[in-house]
Amino acid sequence: MRVGILSFAHLHAEGYVQNLRRISGVEVIGFSDTDPERGRRFSQAYGLRWFWTHEDLLAEHPDAVIVTSENARHRELVELAVRAGAHVLCEKPIATRTEDALAMKAAVEAAGLTFMTAFPMRFSPAVQAARAMVGEGALGRILAVVGVNHSENPKRHRAWFAEKALAGGGATIDHTVHLADLYRWIFGVEVAEVVAEVSNPFDPEVDVDTAGLLLLKLENGVPASIDASWSRPPSYPRWGHLKMEIVGEKATLVLDAFAGHLHVWRRGQERAYEWLGYHPDPNQGMLEAFVSSVRNGTRPPVTWRDGYEALRVVLAAYRSAERHAPVEPGALG
Amino acid sequence: MKIGIVGVGTMGRVHADAYRRIGAELVGAYDPNPEKLAEFVSRFTVDPFRSYDELLLRVDLVDVTAPTFAHEELAVRALEAGKDVILEKPLALDAASGRRILAAARASGRRLFVAMVVRFFPQYRRAAELAKSGQLGRVGTVRLKRVLFPPGPGWYRDPERSGGMPVDLMIHDLDYARWVLGDPVRVFARRSPGVEGKVLEHVQAVLGYENGAMALVEGGWAYPPGYFRTALDLAGERGLVEWSSDQPPPLGTLFPKGEPAPEVGLPMAGLEEDPYELELRHALEALERGKPFDVTPEDALAALELALAVRASADSGRVVEVA
Repeated sequence: MRVGILSFAHLHAEGYVQNLRRISGVEVIGFSDTDPERGRRFSQAYGLRWFWTHEDLLAEHPDAVIVTSENARHRELVELAVRAGAHVLCEKPIATRTEDALAMKAAVEAAGLTFMTAFPMRFSPAVQAARAMVGEGALGRILAVVGVNHSENPKRHRAWFAEKALAGGGATIDHTVHLADLYRWIFGVEVAEVVAEVSNPFDPEVDVDTAGLLLLKLENGVPASIDASWSRPPSYPRWGHLKMEIVGEKATLVLDAFAGHLHVWRRGQERAYEWLGYHPDPNQGMLEAFVSSVRNGTRPPVTWRDGYEALRVVLAAYRSAERHAPVEPGALG
Repeated sequence: MKIGIVGVGTMGRVHADAYRRIGAELVGAYDPNPEKLAEFVSRFTVDPFRSYDELLLRVDLVDVTAPTFAHEELAVRALEAGKDVILEKPLALDAASGRRILAAARASGRRLFVAMVVRFFPQYRRAAELAKSGQLGRVGTVRLKRVLFPPGPGWYRDPERSGGMPVDLMIHDLDYARWVLGDPVRVFARRSPGVEGKVLEHVQAVLGYENGAMALVEGGWAYPPGYFRTALDLAGERGLVEWSSDQPPPLGTLFPKGEPAPEVGLPMAGLEEDPYELELRHALEALERGKPFDVTPEDALAALELALAVRASADSGRVVEVA
């Protein structure tokens, strides 16, 4: 199977190349990027063919593409890819506006192609085990969920993450979708209502939010929080973390998806102390699942709908923060 | 300074233990339950008082560790009798009652110390100092956790007598959030769905501040017996401080799992830094030397009002403006 990568704007593209290369029978044909600096740099770093335009890459007829552009450009690239007959794995968040997500759905469905939203945390063994325990009723009635997805400000790796026009927002759109998706997946319900505080307490140089605290009510009545803040300093020993506590009547689950780490000290470096993970990379499982759905023509384990619903939670959070009132994601879009 | 304790439940014992360790002059106690009082006075070798009036005649300082619903009457009577008062948190069951206690203190010219013990936990104190000294830059997000197992049978469980979980438990972290960030302008809280026949309760509250700062305060009587977890996370423009009770303590104990839990759980502190000792030592020193308290009655009232706003928001499902 021949896979192309549409844009190296998103940080995750670098990891995906290495994940794809570990899957037998998958050939990474190269990547397209209209930014020549990025093109040359990553072409050299990963020994990859660089296409200056997305059309040039698609002219090579890849079976599938991964869209890792800036959030606001997903629609344009997905539509291009679908026109060229390529199946799509689309980076999260699926889009920055519901109308873009809906247009992507229409394009993919009309072409009869596979579309998967990149929610790698569903492929974390700890998350999968937590979901199984909830499903078996091991916790009894669920009382509350506490979710934390902190990170450093990603702008020092890619400036566009902190540009509203390209990213759709800041920390809140960047992080909320992961936990929102996990809640939907673990509990099998939609998010009924969102109340949020969203602001920029951490970086006066950018015009996007750097912190978001959301209190959701799930359809089953369970309250669930999401802390989507870029609140870790660059010197934090890891980019951040994804944590979740599920408080149940009989037992409480305490999940720290990246808990398994070595303590590493290096001489004379900026991040002198690092938590170096040793658990399986959830991205690997996600890419294997995508490749397998494309090969077998089966429904992908994460769908367009999953990406769309998570986006609606994000948009509800922004709206709630403006109004200081609860907002129903289901009423948006 | 002769100290008398009124109310010999869990907190009465905790305070008496701390007084003994710091060498304070605890002379006696009163409790309407004669058996509990007898056990207490023999344990601490202090005098049993036959009535609260007798206690008020015999001591200089009254430590009210009675249940919350009795705070106002006991504190006001002590103040009116010309005694200084140490009053266990929460200040009172409702804001009006709290205001009456503050008014009684002002009218009497005596001093009132409300025992907000979290301000005396060394890690909470150190973290607040980091934040308040500007070392973290402007603090943007605060996360505070305090979740344990539900209280056993008794008045704690009854919101009419304890104020309920937000007023009894979350008040610690709401006070701490005020200490670090000041007064919020908005509060929103969600509570766990009730479970028939159980006391289980979990609440998450988001506080919004005028300057864009925000806090998430989590409190609960929701864990299985024996578990008590607390955590803090203060993130600023220039730095971050994290602490969690999941971190190993200086001394760990591996008891058999599944042993019955004590009636009310108290977090374990460092060996030489018992927060109750630090708290009461501070209060006694401030009283003896006429120095101000680190936590004022007005702080205690504001924390109570915030806890009541959290409870109101959890009840109504609405954002509560508190400015």
